Amino acid sequence: MTAKRGIPVGWLAAAAGALLLFAGCAAQRKLEFPVSPDITPGNRALMIERYDKGKILFRANCSGCHGIFAAGKDSVPNFSKEQIDNYNANFVKGDQRNHAVARKLSQQQIDYILTFLGLHSAAHNTPRKPAL
Amino acid sequence: MLLAAFGFTPGPGYRGLYRTTLEQLATEQSRLVGKMARAGVGSGAGRDSFKHEIATARLKLKAADFWLRYFEPNAYRRINGPLPVEWETEVFEKFEKPYRREGAGLTLAELALDDSTVTRDSLLALVRASMLAAKVFEADSITRQLAKPDHFFLANRLFLLNLGAIYTTGFECPAPERVIPELRSMLVGTRDIYAAFARDFPATPLSAAYLERYGAAIAFVQAQPDDYAAFDHFAFIRDYVNPLFAMNQTMILGYAVASHSVNDFTLNDSCASMFDKGLYNAQNTKGVYSLIEDARTLTQIRETGRLLFYDPLMSGNNQRACVSCHKPVQYFSDRAVPTPEAFEHAGRLKRNAPSLVDAPFNHLLMLDGRHLTLQAQAHDVMTNPAELGSVEQVLVEKVMSCKDYRSAFRSFLKWIPEEPKVTLDHLISAITFYYGGFSYYPAAFDDAINGKATLAPEAHRGFNLFMSKAQCATCHFVPQFNGVKPPYVGSEFEVLGVPADTLYTRLDPDSGRAVVNPALETVHAFRTGSLRNIAHTGPYMHNGVFRTLDQVIEFYDAGGGTGHHLNVPNQTLAADSLHLTVGEKSDLLAFLRSLDERVPVEAPPAKLPRSSRAELNHRKIGGEY
Repeated sequence: MTAKRGIPVGWLAAAAGALLLFAGCAAQRKLEFPVSPDITPGNRALMIERYDKGKILFRANCSGCHGIFAAGKDSVPNFSKEQIDNYNANFVKGDQRNHAVARKLSQQQIDYILTFLGLHSAAHNTPRKPAL
Repeated sequence: MLLAAFGFTPGPGYRGLYRTTLEQLATEQSRLVGKMARAGVGSGAGRDSFKHEIATARLKLKAADFWLRYFEPNAYRRINGPLPVEWETEVFEKFEKPYRREGAGLTLAELALDDSTVTRDSLLALVRASMLAAKVFEADSITRQLAKPDHFFLANRLFLLNLGAIYTTGFECPAPERVIPELRSMLVGTRDIYAAFARDFPATPLSAAYLERYGAAIAFVQAQPDDYAAFDHFAFIRDYVNPLFAMNQTMILGYAVASHSVNDFTLNDSCASMFDKGLYNAQNTKGVYSLIEDARTLTQIRETGRLLFYDPLMSGNNQRACVSCHKPVQYFSDRAVPTPEAFEHAGRLKRNAPSLVDAPFNHLLMLDGRHLTLQAQAHDVMTNPAELGSVEQVLVEKVMSCKDYRSAFRSFLKWIPEEPKVTLDHLISAITFYYGGFSYYPAAFDDAINGKATLAPEAHRGFNLFMSKAQCATCHFVPQFNGVKPPYVGSEFEVLGVPADTLYTRLDPDSGRAVVNPALETVHAFRTGSLRNIAHTGPYMHNGVFRTLDQVIEFYDAGGGTGHHLNVPNQTLAADSLHLTVGEKSDLLAFLRSLDERVPVEAPPAKLPRSSRAELNHRKIGGEY
């Protein structure tokens, strides 16, 4: 899927998002990533909210090329843990290999995606293609 | 052995030139260190000879400036930075604290020579640090970029932007009489870089038109006087720098140049003038709506933002709106008062309400730079008990109690599936998108420097003064005329010594940047504001102490707070007089007036959306105070 929102990104994505967030409201939701017991309930809720938003943004704008949900293209790398930890929002925008979509995202949206990727990679130890 | 360390193949050519240019700089630096280590710095004659040596080393540096400034800006600052201490704010992006960076290098060494208390060891430390910093440029991670043409056009873009913004102004050059001679030497040195590049990268040449115009630029500068105050800065930019910039942008696009550097993320590849408002991708005005491109939806978001901007529901007492202090008919500033009235009439705020026009071209927001984004800034004002005094959840509920707002914001949700419900962020994004749109209109000065109109002779003279003798442009950088300089990745702060009153009885007590980042250097420091539309956005300074631009120019002409006998030990503005004549001041004003942008004025909305809560329907458009 491209980043162009000339048409709505899709009711499918919206519906998936709504479902996910409905699940997020449930107290007993099973988390997709580990949360340290030291984290306060308020911050835990924030983490979940950002992870969810990042996941939807990633699916809609990045996963067409960067595989993480078993999709992606062979020539485009997945993200290494190190890359995710070191990136900041402006770096993502600055690297033009990330083409137009990264430049359009707001700082906060990029942070959501990085939060999602960071927590997702902490939860999955699947082998990755080497980064460029 | 040196060759092996560099990883170069011997022989002439582009990479060879890079190597020999760096070697020549290193030779000059070590000669300087050797001489300083042997001789004392006490005598006047000794000082003069060191200054001469530093001048020679600076010329070698200027020959490499093209590369060094682009490849590793922080290391460059240690070779020749202008400030003894800098606070790095870019780390804010990662939500860390700013950190302190000690300055070093040739400029500081030269300034230290004028200080009679300076010791030989501290001088040596400054120059040795510059030697170490120059070594950074031998790293593989940097030299391997020389094997591909991409970096060349991006470094050239930065070079051209700096030709317009700093190289003719005396920024990083303590001796005004050397500014133009150094410029000449740098232009000629860079021509050698161009020639070597052409030999090694024949597939991606600089166009013939570019080289011809560049040759004409050198001829122009050679024919200009040595005195930077007599140099025609305006013609230099209009006839040479900006056309060269346009051609370089065409080559960046045409050769599909790829950047891997954080030096480029703020710059738009597809704009053809330094004075195009689209050059600098600064603040994101769309916030949560960033990915929406549908024109009809964007129009609706803007219209909703406009209504909110005038709507006193944004305040805790339903009596104040954004327009209370940012009046669209006054370039979104408030001309009536030095500082706005506080919430519930509880005294006055500490700081002047700044114009929102061109606010998106700041790297950091608020006069103390406490916010990174327009959205965070707006959030702060709305929930600040002294300003709009709102409680986030209550505010959102009030707005959503109006059917028109509710249906609008809900309809926007379908474009942003990651956002499950309407929050304050959505309201704020509509507002920033609304007022952000007023920042993209040109001024008469832009038309003239783009070659599309003529500039009045007095404004032309005023700009040349602005760039030289009046020392304005070393902080208010071309083309934004605010505190961001190429490549626009940080906002600068200055300590001016602004008084609490026009009689200069005492320094204004506001500690400014130190509130956010407490340090000796940041006490009373404020973010450098934009001079665009300045004739219409008074009163001036962070506390609105000056009502007229004449007062402001007098303040600077006399050397700021220190020049008016206030005790400002950390003032960053030179304390001596600029010695501006009456005619020069009037020329400066003419130039500043040429920065009036053609910002359209819209009528306020005829009515605000009705709420289901009757008590909210008595509110006034634009609030009551």
